[in-house]
Amino acid sequence: MASLALTFGSGAMTNSIADTKKTDLFLMIGSNPDTSHPTIGLRVHQAVDRGAKLIVVDPRRTRLADRADHWLRIQPGTDVAFLNGLMHIIIEEELWNRKFVEERTEDFDELVKLVKKYTPDYVAEITGIPAEQLYAVARMYAAEGRHAIFHGMGITHYVTGTDRVKSIANLAMLCGKVGVEGGGCNPLRGQNNVQGACDMGALFNTLPGYGSLDNDELFAKFEKIWKVKVPRRPGKPATEIWDNIFKGDIRALYVFGEDPAVADANIAHVQEALEKVDFLVVQDLFLTDTAKAADVVLPAACYAEKDGTMTCTERRVQRVRKAVNPPGEAKPDWQIFTELSQKMGYEMHYNSAEDIFEEIRSLLPQYKGITYERLEEVGLQWPVPSEDHPGTTVLHTESFTRGKGLFIPEEYIAPVELPDDEYPLKFTTGRDIARYNFSSMTGKTAEIDIISPEALAEVNPVDAEKYGIQEGDWIRMTSRRGSVEMRATITDRSQEGTIFTTYNHIEALVNFLTLDALDRLSRTPEYKLCAIKVEVLGNELPS
Amino acid sequence: MSTISLEIDGSEVIAEQGLTILEIANRSGIHIPTLCHVNGKQSEIPCQLCVVEVEGTDHFVRSCATVATDGMRISTDSKELTKHRQERLATVSASHFGDCKAPCNLTCPGQLNVQGYIAHVAKGEYEEALRLVMDRNPFPFSVGRVCPRFCETRCRRLLVDEPVSINHLKRFVADWCMTNNIDLRLPRAKATGKRVAIIGGGPAGLTAAFFLAQKGHDVTVLEANPKLGGMLRYGIPEYKIPRKVLDYETNMIMKMGISVRLSQKWGSDFTLQDLQDQGFDATFIATGAGVDVRLDVPGCQLPMVHHAAQFLKAVATGKKADYGKTAAVIGGNNIAMECARTLLRQGVEQVTVIFHRAQEEMPANQRVIRQAIGEGVQFLLMASPVQVSDQGGKMRLELVRMRLGEPNERGVRQPEAIPNSNNSITVDTVVSSLGQMACDGTFQGGELEAALAVSAKNTINASPRDFLTSVPGVFAAGDCVSGTRTVIQTVVSARKAANHIHSFITGDPKEEADNRFNFTRGKSFDQVDMSNFEGIGIKLREKMPTRPPETAIQDFSEVKLGFSEEMAINEANRCLSCGCTAFDRCDLKKLDIDHKVNINKTGMGSKPLYTKDQSHPVITVDLNKCVYCQRCLHSCEYDALELSHDGFDEHNNPANITLNFRDNCVNCGNCVDNCSTGALNKRTSIVPLNYEAMKEVRTTCPYCGAGCQLILKVKGDTLMEVSSDPDLAPNYGALCVKGRFAHNFVQSKDRLTRPLVRRHGQLVETTWEDAYNVIAKNFFDIKSMYGADAIAGFSCARATNEENFLMQKFMRTAIGTNNIDHCARL
Repeated sequence: MASLALTFGSGAMTNSIADTKKTDLFLMIGSNPDTSHPTIGLRVHQAVDRGAKLIVVDPRRTRLADRADHWLRIQPGTDVAFLNGLMHIIIEEELWNRKFVEERTEDFDELVKLVKKYTPDYVAEITGIPAEQLYAVARMYAAEGRHAIFHGMGITHYVTGTDRVKSIANLAMLCGKVGVEGGGCNPLRGQNNVQGACDMGALFNTLPGYGSLDNDELFAKFEKIWKVKVPRRPGKPATEIWDNIFKGDIRALYVFGEDPAVADANIAHVQEALEKVDFLVVQDLFLTDTAKAADVVLPAACYAEKDGTMTCTERRVQRVRKAVNPPGEAKPDWQIFTELSQKMGYEMHYNSAEDIFEEIRSLLPQYKGITYERLEEVGLQWPVPSEDHPGTTVLHTESFTRGKGLFIPEEYIAPVELPDDEYPLKFTTGRDIARYNFSSMTGKTAEIDIISPEALAEVNPVDAEKYGIQEGDWIRMTSRRGSVEMRATITDRSQEGTIFTTYNHIEALVNFLTLDALDRLSRTPEYKLCAIKVEVLGNELPS
Repeated sequence: MSTISLEIDGSEVIAEQGLTILEIANRSGIHIPTLCHVNGKQSEIPCQLCVVEVEGTDHFVRSCATVATDGMRISTDSKELTKHRQERLATVSASHFGDCKAPCNLTCPGQLNVQGYIAHVAKGEYEEALRLVMDRNPFPFSVGRVCPRFCETRCRRLLVDEPVSINHLKRFVADWCMTNNIDLRLPRAKATGKRVAIIGGGPAGLTAAFFLAQKGHDVTVLEANPKLGGMLRYGIPEYKIPRKVLDYETNMIMKMGISVRLSQKWGSDFTLQDLQDQGFDATFIATGAGVDVRLDVPGCQLPMVHHAAQFLKAVATGKKADYGKTAAVIGGNNIAMECARTLLRQGVEQVTVIFHRAQEEMPANQRVIRQAIGEGVQFLLMASPVQVSDQGGKMRLELVRMRLGEPNERGVRQPEAIPNSNNSITVDTVVSSLGQMACDGTFQGGELEAALAVSAKNTINASPRDFLTSVPGVFAAGDCVSGTRTVIQTVVSARKAANHIHSFITGDPKEEADNRFNFTRGKSFDQVDMSNFEGIGIKLREKMPTRPPETAIQDFSEVKLGFSEEMAINEANRCLSCGCTAFDRCDLKKLDIDHKVNINKTGMGSKPLYTKDQSHPVITVDLNKCVYCQRCLHSCEYDALELSHDGFDEHNNPANITLNFRDNCVNCGNCVDNCSTGALNKRTSIVPLNYEAMKEVRTTCPYCGAGCQLILKVKGDTLMEVSSDPDLAPNYGALCVKGRFAHNFVQSKDRLTRPLVRRHGQLVETTWEDAYNVIAKNFFDIKSMYGADAIAGFSCARATNEENFLMQKFMRTAIGTNNIDHCARL
């Protein structure tokens, strides 16, 4: 999101899910909506059914890859080189959209300069994608039509994640595919309210509504309504908290609805930090591994037990409504915050979620025209600048949020941890369709266990042969940070040299392996790639 | 876009060109019945219900397959169309095989959704099970202990081994909720301002009070005794219903917000006129039948001759008395059995029940008789009292032996005295239990009481139709009208009376009675094909833990101890789940009812032709119910279903149907929502929803960022199932397996319910106040020592906007740091 905010001025999906009905070509890169966003995946399949073209860039042979006009089996972590390579061809062959670039963008020259060295042969060497396929795809994407790029966590979960998103934006602007129905840059948000959490300013470097920490006018507005001085010192991103706990700079941690003890990268390090921090408060539905380390645990109401709104991947603000009572003494989170704030001496007076929403829309220009009443039937897509505005299905149609679209070309930087003699294989992860995160919620439904009983390590047949792995064998995968054991399945869905598995089984915590190196802008860890070695344990798991 | 103008049922309709008649009618709010139409697709074997008449054509046309043209004049309803639809429905129904409602449900006088609460028990949802019982019966504790169990007599499990112990399960959920102090938070309608006086605080009075209060009326109960409960307290002994259980039960009813005036005796403390003067909009008499039919033989006035109701009340209220060592109980009803068992507990060593017929002909429930026998009660049958006399402080009871006479004109053989067979026994106490009446012939009080019509059996005359007595505005139900009945029957009559009182005082239309329409696998046991039970192994019922008789008769503590949780779940799993779990959504049933198709005459399937397929992870398939509408096939957006048939049966319906799920099935469950019958069902939707109030709450899915809109179907405090609106963005009805099924976590027993705080290294439960204090103190301390930036917060990308907003506001204001972030990067 951080990158789209820099290039376009708005860090969100530019188009709508319903646009898939109009899209002529899909470029899916690092996204497998069949498992991570199934109802969106369905729309892509239906679009392909009606004849839309499909390009899939994925190291793994997914169901969409099977149906693609071009499936580019890219080496993990080399997307920036690939995207720069496409732009090199498009510029060289003069396929770019001159009118769009001249009228609506700036710093085009920077792009031209940078992509010059990304010749098809050079890129083919880095990415493993044959040069002729690069030519074909570049021509297809640059051609006339409504062409949409979809990307997911396969793009962002890298140290160079923001570089990739910038490169995606560069490509879309270069070909003038932004601001039209059926086109655009469409990041698929992982969690149901990531978009909202960002919009609400639950970020270390922006105020609600993406206002920056040096905007005096904005601070004046917030301070007037909040009746208190708002701090200007930049905060620390979540992923940097652990090191800061060890350094003694962070002494207390308030964790609301997260389980970093299993969910973060390199969890052995996180678990140690949770033990070390002086004071830990956890607010959750369950006694999670993080909660078990807490000094105080607060029982929260779940989505079905409270009112409120959430903002989905297409910027649509939608209602959440109370259906049942919370168990025991559990309370809606918003109520907990008001009560605790009172205790801390800062008065918060809200009688309902709607009261809070009224304050939100008084502060956030994107939400200004949204009211609970208007959300009664169907959600609205921000920006909604006034109460008679119908919402915005496509962003940047006339101009970009920041005025002109900014080309921010980036060089390809190799993944942090590449295979070597000791750790010869690449390890990457994805979502299981039936499970969510670490199954603390989905795991309570028995049928889910029937559909998805265990995580399997997907091993390419060539690697299986090389390491002596049989179908169903237990294997131990070890990275520089830890080990995890699971059964293997032999399939060419996995690329040679890469083992894939889903990360949603609490019994097989893959984040013992993953790398906590961080993206330099968004501070996202390199979840999607690290180097491992495997040992074959045989048919039975040794006790 | 060009438009056309046409006429449907006399109204002019303007519509887009190119639409079918059915689409246009639907958009104009004109309902045309159909079984097979979905997503604009037609079945290869059309249901033909959507036919309409088009002026100028001499045959019916299928509205789903006919594109409307300009100037068309269409009729969707006529005698001929109805007849055609009836015939089609009758044909389709003739091959449909299954039960709509389970036999237990149909047999219960209270029409309780028995299968439903058993299924809740099987799922561990005891609270919801109790709520479901209380939907129709506010006395689950008492009925769960004393009900004669009409339902169990019809339980089809009998054909396999033994009926399910239904009543013990009802008692279990009630007791479980009591032990766990569950507040059911039963909803109550907004106050209506209408006032109802209820005379009598027994099961009938409190049942009516409960349902009237639930509807928002201001209810006042006037009870002659110092405590509520009526016969449950003063008639049924404590070893059957412990007083603390009854107190809990009546308190639970009173929580509905009912006023009560105790020790107010009708006729002496107040009259019907007084109640009218006090402004009550209606009065309900529920005084029960507590007046004993007196033994009418010489000597019956002697002081050691007691009458059952009086005797039981004396014991219940703790009146000290010496009943000696031997006693005789005259009568064979349930109350006689309880008198006998009570006498044993009063130190009487030998109790003899005297009855003028054989044991099988005793009106008492055989189970109750067996309990009495088990405790040592003796029986002198085919004998009748002639006279009682005092013999030096003992009672000499003279009897005559009886025999059955010749059959009368109705074939009944009445007992008659055997000449010269007189004999006698000598006892310390005689208790006569010859039945109870509502009054001694008249009611005392005033003019209105005098005008209250009383039957020859000394019960109140109330209309069986609307429960009105001969006095305007005064209703009556329960034992005071019917004579002594079981508690559940009393509850049912009072519940029905409450509905009539409600419509009397509000003018609202009366609630429709339950429709009797029912597909059945067989009305009686011998009509049920045994192949229904193939593959069901024998599993005998759980045995109720019971105190041994020799210790049980030593005191008044409860004899039956109740099921453990494990026993309850085992027993609940014995249920064969006869009733259809698509009861609430079945279109075939709905259309049959709408078109008044009498399937009892036109026919229905009689034996299973397919075995239930449970191989799919989330869907069960019962092709016996399939009407081959193909809506599953046509609603699947993934093309993941294969449905075919081979030939036709004798009704010309598709036969030898096969349905398979392909490998690309994503378990989204959409086909189930579109099934027109119960052929497809969600595996875990095992609770049939028979007319219970169901709330639909629209919300947003708690999982990925797609933002799918959900409809949560909620009963009481339980999420029953999830569906989606096909017309609503962004998902337009599509859901994934998580969005449709992964919601059990809401009711998970692992949920946190109280704040926890770490003390001596352990997390222990605490109050919110304490938890907040601990947090505030630590945050203050750390802030003052290390500064606000030593505190960091993680917000939640799965919580609401409002909550994320407040979390960051809390960190930026109350704490004073920008150390706030969330898990967007996962």
